[in-house]
Amino acid sequence: MKKSKVDDLQIFLEISVYLTGFNKNELLGTGMLDTYYNTVAANSNPEILDFFYVEARRILSCGNEDEINKEIKLNLIPDSAYRGLAKNIITMWYMGNWGGQVINAESYIQGLVWDAAETHPPGAKQPGYGSWSERPIHINCKKHSS
Amino acid sequence: MKDREKEYDVVILGSGIGGAIMAKTLTQAGKSVLLLEAGLEAGISMDKTDAFGNYMSYLDRFYKAPAKAPNSPYPNLKDAPSIDVLDIQAIEGCNKPSTKGYLVQAGPLPFGSDCLRGPGGTTMHWLGSTPRMLPNDFQMKTRYGQGVDWPITYKDLMPYYEMAELEIGVSGSVAEQKGPDVSKNNYGVGYNFPMKKIPQSYLDANVMGHFNRPVNKVNMNGKEYELMFVSTPQGRNSIPNPDYPFRDITWEPAEEKLKLQTNKYWNSETKKVEKIDAAEKENYVPVGAIWNQNEGHRCEGNASCVPICPVQAKYNALKTLRRADQEKLEIRTQSVASKVLIDEKTKEVSGIEYKRYDNDDLPTFETHVTKGRIYVLAASAIENAKILLASDAANSSDQVGRNLMDHLCLLTWGLLPEKAYPFRGPGSTTNIPTLRDGEFRKEHAACIIPLDNWGWGWPVFSPGSDVASAVSGGMFGKELRDHINGIVTRQLLLHFECEQAPEPSNRVTIDPEYLDPIGNYRPVIHYDASDYMKKAFEASKKVSDQIFADAGVEDHTAYSADLDPDYVEYNGKGYNFWGAGHIVGTHRMGNSKENSVVDSDSKTWDHDNLYLVGCGNMPTLGTSNPTLTMSALAFKTAEAILKRLKK
Repeated sequence: MKKSKVDDLQIFLEISVYLTGFNKNELLGTGMLDTYYNTVAANSNPEILDFFYVEARRILSCGNEDEINKEIKLNLIPDSAYRGLAKNIITMWYMGNWGGQVINAESYIQGLVWDAAETHPPGAKQPGYGSWSERPIHINCKKHSS
Repeated sequence: MKDREKEYDVVILGSGIGGAIMAKTLTQAGKSVLLLEAGLEAGISMDKTDAFGNYMSYLDRFYKAPAKAPNSPYPNLKDAPSIDVLDIQAIEGCNKPSTKGYLVQAGPLPFGSDCLRGPGGTTMHWLGSTPRMLPNDFQMKTRYGQGVDWPITYKDLMPYYEMAELEIGVSGSVAEQKGPDVSKNNYGVGYNFPMKKIPQSYLDANVMGHFNRPVNKVNMNGKEYELMFVSTPQGRNSIPNPDYPFRDITWEPAEEKLKLQTNKYWNSETKKVEKIDAAEKENYVPVGAIWNQNEGHRCEGNASCVPICPVQAKYNALKTLRRADQEKLEIRTQSVASKVLIDEKTKEVSGIEYKRYDNDDLPTFETHVTKGRIYVLAASAIENAKILLASDAANSSDQVGRNLMDHLCLLTWGLLPEKAYPFRGPGSTTNIPTLRDGEFRKEHAACIIPLDNWGWGWPVFSPGSDVASAVSGGMFGKELRDHINGIVTRQLLLHFECEQAPEPSNRVTIDPEYLDPIGNYRPVIHYDASDYMKKAFEASKKVSDQIFADAGVEDHTAYSADLDPDYVEYNGKGYNFWGAGHIVGTHRMGNSKENSVVDSDSKTWDHDNLYLVGCGNMPTLGTSNPTLTMSALAFKTAEAILKRLKK
């Protein structure tokens, strides 16, 4: 059965939630989903990538979060699995990089590492005069809900 | 090819802060100026649309750069290459220099700093810290038997420091300046900076909170010193200080002086000095972005001062250049000076030979000669020295190129016990002045100790390296997010910026074997760190250990030759040092033509119509970031030239 691109995009998003620790809204809020999905597609062996999405789909259907994380650790994280794709996906979301290169200006700006560190990317999303002399603002939302 | 053109009053090389101050001051006083700039035409534009478009292209290049090094936003030109810290590598052995970058690094240690050849010069990527030098810094030989004395004193330079602080637009608190050899007396009675101090960071407050005894001490070499924390004066916009009285700097022909004015200014439309009506006098107005006067009136917290301030709240030399009388100023870009031509009989400079390229990717150029009554080299410490050496000029003392100095930064890093949220705000907002001066300078270098607001970015490329090592270790998901949050938010970095002493063997030379694509010399650098520096590294690490212990900081400092090629051993222990980007000393100022290149007005002893501007003039470095001091010297030189052109 031939899968549609939409299905894989959805799987890419859902598995990214578990890989990055950022919820769907946070990932969608970067505006980078399509770019990153396409970057993976353009830089991976199509056969390997198909296997990866099949495996990711299976893992996501495992039910509870602990079980999914256990499966990810066992089947996606090892360097031998799908040519290290999972780690590359994490790095892409956190740093905006693929293979050591910045994908584009926006990918640098949308790097999740800056959110994880409760700051902003240097040179962009500037928080305003004197903001650095106070604690970062914590927006009132459930931080890690997925 | 000889230019068919009038003779200019003054020909200036370089549009960095030194050249920009000269161009502005001289043209406003009615002198005709030709400014030659090696970098691209696009970067010099004062047209608002073009200037904005060009600057946004810098920003875009910065975003896309895999390594966000100081020169990453700016074009590196084949025909006028810039030094780049990314090219620094270990030197394999003698007679095997590293030639990876523009510099030919002969070692034994690689020189650790870079600068920018292009419109605005290195002020495009400077951090912007503007502490003044200390009075004792000008008398190192007399006080401590080290290096040399300056031919001028701190007091001589004071009025020019005030001009530089207006030109750059310094934010700071005079009342808060303290430390050894620093007091309110270092400033004139009632003196203020143009703008209020830049707010100190949350991280600064966190660190200072660990030192809340009335007097906190550190021990160095068996002696106790008071640990102090001071807000750093800096060239970025904050809230105007209503008590700051000055509005402009003007040339007063009757008195033959440059003067700070409270009620006069140079009107760029009428091109005249005009009175400010007392009733209409407003507060000091921060100088905004070159494309929009109303943008950049406050630092907006981009946390990217090095390498680029997106809103130009941080000073850069284009702001000064824009205030020049554009009718009196001609700028030629893509024009790389290659030689100072000397009249054999008079020993005066008879012209500047420069090579003009159309396309920086191609090794094609046209050679021109241009003429002025007076010549000013303001092309950076290394380029000035290189051009003089290539011209066999100004070097009867054999000091040209020698005494190359920098601040050698011993970095120490650790994790604070609480989250202090680095990677926010300007690079540094607080410094520890405790070791800037003292009798110990007889034995080892003094240092200023800035608290860094940008985590471990400098030594180990955090937070990217934290992500890389966690991910490669198999961390993912919420565990990864929490790990990054727990580590990066607690990162503390101190720099011990140690004053390098002048040494004749640390030097710039030239070698016909090493030329750039258009046949100009590449600078050959001979460089090492003496025991005077290594002793300071040892003492600094011990002081860092005490500060970390008292603040409950878990030390993660780990030096190795792999971490950074500037690695030295002293008493059996290894230390890395990093360059501060403070390239100084290659054409020192002095009292006599036997032991210096320029006099106290920055005029070369050997050529009556040749002046040098820039950090190369500084006989010693002190513990201050040098831009403010070199800007003060530039005003002094501009005054001397105006006085002379009057005759």
